[in-house]
Amino acid sequence: MSTMPEAVDALCLTGLSHYTAPVALRERLAFRAEALPRALGAIRARGFLEAVILSTCNRVEVIAVARQSDPDAPARIRAFLSEFHSLPEKEFGASLYEPRGVAAAQHVFEVTASLDSQVLGETEILAQAKEAYRVAAETGTCGRVLRRLFERSFFLSKELRAEGGIGRAQASVSSAAVALASKLFDIQGRTVLVLGTGEMASGIVRALRVGGVAEVYVASRTEARAAEFAQREGGRPCPISKLAEYLALADIALVSAAAPNYVVGPTQAKAAATQRRGRALCIIDISVPRNVDPAVGEVEDVFLYDIDDLENVAKEGRREREQVAARWRPRLAEEARECLRELEDCGVQYTAQKLLEHFGAIRQDVLQQARAGGMDQEAFDSLARALERLQGRILHHPLQTLKQAGREGDGAEAAAWISRLFRLELQAQQGSTDEHG
Amino acid sequence: MTPEVLSYAALACFVLGAVAAIAGFRVEAFRSNALQFVLAGAGLALKTVSIGIFCATSSTHFFNSPADICGLLAWALSFSYLVALAVCAVRSLGALVLPLVSVTLFLSHVFSKEGVYPGVAAGPLLALHILAAFLGYGLFLTACGASVLYLEQTKLLKRKVFGVLFRDLPSLERLERLELVCAWMGLGIFALALAAGGVMAHHLNPPRPFWSDPKTLAAVVTFMVFGALALGRTARWLHGRAAALVVLGGAALVLLTFVLSHPLGRPAARSEKQEVRSEAPPSRLSARSSILSPRGGANV
Repeated sequence: MSTMPEAVDALCLTGLSHYTAPVALRERLAFRAEALPRALGAIRARGFLEAVILSTCNRVEVIAVARQSDPDAPARIRAFLSEFHSLPEKEFGASLYEPRGVAAAQHVFEVTASLDSQVLGETEILAQAKEAYRVAAETGTCGRVLRRLFERSFFLSKELRAEGGIGRAQASVSSAAVALASKLFDIQGRTVLVLGTGEMASGIVRALRVGGVAEVYVASRTEARAAEFAQREGGRPCPISKLAEYLALADIALVSAAAPNYVVGPTQAKAAATQRRGRALCIIDISVPRNVDPAVGEVEDVFLYDIDDLENVAKEGRREREQVAARWRPRLAEEARECLRELEDCGVQYTAQKLLEHFGAIRQDVLQQARAGGMDQEAFDSLARALERLQGRILHHPLQTLKQAGREGDGAEAAAWISRLFRLELQAQQGSTDEHG
Repeated sequence: MTPEVLSYAALACFVLGAVAAIAGFRVEAFRSNALQFVLAGAGLALKTVSIGIFCATSSTHFFNSPADICGLLAWALSFSYLVALAVCAVRSLGALVLPLVSVTLFLSHVFSKEGVYPGVAAGPLLALHILAAFLGYGLFLTACGASVLYLEQTKLLKRKVFGVLFRDLPSLERLERLELVCAWMGLGIFALALAAGGVMAHHLNPPRPFWSDPKTLAAVVTFMVFGALALGRTARWLHGRAAALVVLGGAALVLLTFVLSHPLGRPAARSEKQEVRSEAPPSRLSARSSILSPRGGANV
C-alpha cells in the first residue's frame, strides 16, 4: 500500500540550471516572456492539469501536475521542450534534472528562497518566481496544487530572509565596499573620489550609486580616460594634480590607479584628515600592486582597506549565507513534505465532496423522472425523503473508510479507488477546468 | 499590586530585553528595534508605576537608601535608552544598557532599604532635583554606552576584524550623533537638577559653598565635562576617539558622584537621623543635613 499522497506522485519538475548546463544551452531553452502563455497552453494540451514555467538567466524549469501518477510525465515535458524550442532532446537531455513529488516541492522551495542561486541569498529569484506564478495564474494553468506550493514557497522565502537573515551579509566585493563605507557613515549624499579607471572601480561606483552617493569625481593620469569614465558613471573628471584638495573633499576615495608606486601616502592622508576636522575618510585601494601606502591606515579618522579586506568581508558574508542555507535546507524539506501532506488531505475532502455531489445528482435525476411520470406531491415528498435516507446509508461506510484512510496516510489510494469506481475523475477534470477559468 | 511586585515585573521585562538584545547578534528574529522598544518600554512603565505607588504610600520618599538609588538609576537608564532608541535607532546599544539596567534594578532588591534622613522637607523642589539629576545621569551613562560602542567599532574597523559584532554595530557617525544627543539632553536636564539643588542649598542655615561638598563638586565638574564635550563636538574641535574618551571620563565622574553621595550598602544611620531630627526644626535646616551634603543629601 502506498503511503505517498496523490500530489506526491502527480507533482513533477523538469529543468536545468547553471549547475547542470552552460549558458549556451540555457539560452536555447529559455522562454521569452511573451511566449510563456503559449508554452503553458502547450503543456496543458499534453495532459497536465497544472503548470508553471520558471525561466531566468540561470535556469529553465517546468513545474507541472500530471492527471494521475504518470511515469511518463517527465518524458512528456522533455518532448514539449524539444518541440517548443525545436531542439533535439539528445542535446539537452543529459543536463536535465527531474525530481518528483517531495523532491520537486523541496526544489521549488529552495529555488524561490535563493538557496539554489549562484549568489546565495540574492533577491531577484523571488521576484522572478512570483512573475512566473502570476503568468501561470493568468493563463489558467495554476490550480490547487501549484497555488499552494508557490504561495508556501513565497512565504518561506520571506521568512528565510527575515528570520534567517540570509541577505544580511555581503557576498560580493562591490557590496563589501559599500558595507565597509556604511560602517563609517551613512553613504547617502556622500562624495566619492575615484582614482584610476579600472573595471572593478566601475562596479564599486555603481554599487555606491545604488547606496545613494551624490557626487563622483574621477581622476586619472590620462585625462581622456577620466573624462570617459566620468561620463559613463555619471561623475565629473578632476585633475590629478589637485589630488590633495579632492582627498579632503571626498568621503570615500576609491583607488584603482594601476601605478607602479604609492599614489597616496600618510602625509597626504594626514593633511586631508586635518582639513576634514574629524570627519572619517574611507580609502578603498583595489589596485594590485597597492597604490596607497599601508601607513595611511594608521592616520586617525582615516580608514584604509585593500582588495583582500573587501574579499574577506565578502568571503565572511558568503560563509554566513552558507551556514544559513545549511540550517534551512532540512526545514525546507520538512515543509515540502508537510505541504504535500496537506494537499493530500485536501484531496480526500475533495473526493468525498465529489462523491456526495455525484449521488446528489443521481437522486435529483430519479426525482425529476418521478415528477415527469405524474407522481402526486405527497408521494414525491416521501420518495425524496426515502432517497435521501438511502443515499446517507449507502455512503456512510465509504466516506468513513475514506476519512480513516486519510488519517492513516492511505487517503490518496482510497480516493483514487473511489474516483475510479464511481467515475468521479471526469467530474474532477471538469471542476479543474472550471477552476482554471 | 505592591511596588515590590511591580519592580520585579519590570526587572523581568528588562532581563528579557537584555537577552533579546544580545541574542539579536545571532538570531534574526530578535534584531528588531520594536521588540527592544516594547520590552524596555514595558519595564520602564512598570517601574514608573512602582515608584509612583511607593511615593504615594510612603512618607519618607527621599530616594536616599542604596536600594532606592539603584532603583531610580535603573529607571533613569531605561528612560535614556528608550530616548536613544527613538532618536538614533541604535539597537545594539541595548546589549550594553539593558543588562546594566537589569543588574542595577536587581541590586535595588538586594541592597538595604534603610536610608539617611535628607534633612530637608519632601516637596516639589526636592522631587524635581532628584528626578532631574537621575535623568541627567541616565543620559550621561547612555552617552557613555554609545562611546564604548564607538571605540569598539573604531577598533574593529582599524584592525579589520569583520565578525558578527562588526556587522551588527551601527556606523561611527550614528554613534557619535547618539553621544552628542544624549550629552545635550543630559546637560539640559542636569542643569535643572543643579539649579533646584542650588535653590535648596541657598535656604540652608548656614549656607555652604558647593566646593566644600565633594559630591556637589563632582556633579559640577561632570556638568562642565559634558558641557565642554557638547560644545566641542558641535564646534567640531573635539571629535572621534578623543570625544569618546572625554565621555568615558565624564561617566567615571558620574560613578564617583554616586560613591561620594552614598556608599552603596552602608547601613543606615538611624541615630544620626534621630539626631538631625532633634537638632533641626523643619523650618530651619542645618548645614549638616543639607540636600547637597555628602552624608545627608538626596543621594544624587
